[in-house]
Amino acid sequence: MVGSDMTHPTVLYSKKGNVAHVVLNRPRVINAYNMQMRDELYESLAAAKDDTDVRALVLSGSGERGFCAGADLTEFGTAPSLAIARQVRWERDIWGLFLSIRKPMIAALHGFVIGSGVEMACLCDVRIASENAVFSMPEVALGMVPAAGGTQTLPRVVGAGTALELILTNRSVAASEAKELGLVHQIVANGDLMMTAISLAEKLASRDPAALSAAKSALVDGLDMHLDDGLRLEKRLAMKAKSSE
Amino acid sequence: MSSALVHISIHDHVATVTLNRHSAGNAINEAMAFALRDALTDLSQSGEVRVLLVTGEGSGFCTGTDLPNLTNPELLSDTLKNHRISDAFAALTKPVIAAINGDALDQGLELALACDIRVASATARLGLTQVEAGFMPWDGGTQRLPRLVGRGRALEMILTSRRIDAQEAMSMGLVNMVAEPDQVMNSTLKIAQTIAAHGPIAAGYLKEAVLKGMDLTLEQGLRLEADLNFILQTTSDRAEGIQSFLQRRSPDYGGK
Repeated sequence: MVGSDMTHPTVLYSKKGNVAHVVLNRPRVINAYNMQMRDELYESLAAAKDDTDVRALVLSGSGERGFCAGADLTEFGTAPSLAIARQVRWERDIWGLFLSIRKPMIAALHGFVIGSGVEMACLCDVRIASENAVFSMPEVALGMVPAAGGTQTLPRVVGAGTALELILTNRSVAASEAKELGLVHQIVANGDLMMTAISLAEKLASRDPAALSAAKSALVDGLDMHLDDGLRLEKRLAMKAKSSE
Repeated sequence: MSSALVHISIHDHVATVTLNRHSAGNAINEAMAFALRDALTDLSQSGEVRVLLVTGEGSGFCTGTDLPNLTNPELLSDTLKNHRISDAFAALTKPVIAAINGDALDQGLELALACDIRVASATARLGLTQVEAGFMPWDGGTQRLPRLVGRGRALEMILTSRRIDAQEAMSMGLVNMVAEPDQVMNSTLKIAQTIAAHGPIAAGYLKEAVLKGMDLTLEQGLRLEADLNFILQTTSDRAEGIQSFLQRRSPDYGGK
């Protein structure tokens, strides 16, 4: 973790029972995503992925103001060259790591959920929001495009029509509309967010991990396939999950 | 750029394309299809235009197609080719918004489906009704409708030729917004102006990433997104976007 400030971790990682809790921890800047956070998130997710005791994950943001205000723009353009930036993107493929974790991941969303905050949420499987959550995608307004997978994951979550509208216009979406659009699955009172997310994670962690992992793989990988291939995958995974009981 | 059948006006980077055959429900005939394709070619090349808005003259959007009576069925292939316009809309790299000010039926809805954002009048009806007349959608409807609303809803709409109202279209994600009939143009213009103030290169790349990405595996899509991002980093627009944010001012994009 070159350049990390170990005394001020930007990501907190804890484990209770079979649930891993990953907390974005830069509350003074609404958990804006920077390079240190990328490295520490990478370490935390890799640990959760490899740890067989971890059967479900919760991702949340610390502080009152929000889950994540997006990328930390003060660090933009600091890479020595585009070639190096591109090399680093794939050497530390944080978004690919998210997608490779075949355990249920729950995003607990509150306050500002902006840009890469929305994108991280879309890389999780279940999104629970508190009543005060507000979502927006400001990239195109800032002359760029989403870079944490959002151009791919958001349309797969809410449809291409809605994704185009939200990203092209940078419109703010309140929690209630986010639920109508299918961006979040559940809205809870502000004070109940963490309890709801953790208790769902505990419930999922109590189930057969092989079945959960197989079901997640069938959905995630199957959506990239033609129906015939997806059905074959489902059959194969179901046989495997059954025989591992 | 304007013609009798397709009116074009450009204000503040927004080009409004108006189908102008009100007496025929703005139905698309061969001459209008040619005029539309020509206009789109010009607008796609115009440095001034950043966002397109398409609407219908009068109280309707577009009720379909005026196909000639074909005595020789061998001519059908050429006739449909000449009438087809959705591909020309879908090929635009600039964002396109449909202001569905009235009924959008058959090819009219297929046109709207090829746009990026759809705003519908509360009184508009939408449908692909070709099967009712012994035909089928032929300007992209069988492909774009299921991709937008899901296979089940698309099959039901097309097989039954059912016309749905704007509220139902909204609930199934077929339109992004519903406005009162006298507010459709205002609401759509507001969206167009908002997008026109954003980075034009980024908007084009965003469309490419989302629309091409839907045909790719997730992993391939993420590759496309990343590479478009690296290319964007060479543009002055992206530097302007970040500078304006850090300096807490509005960005001024040059499209470079």
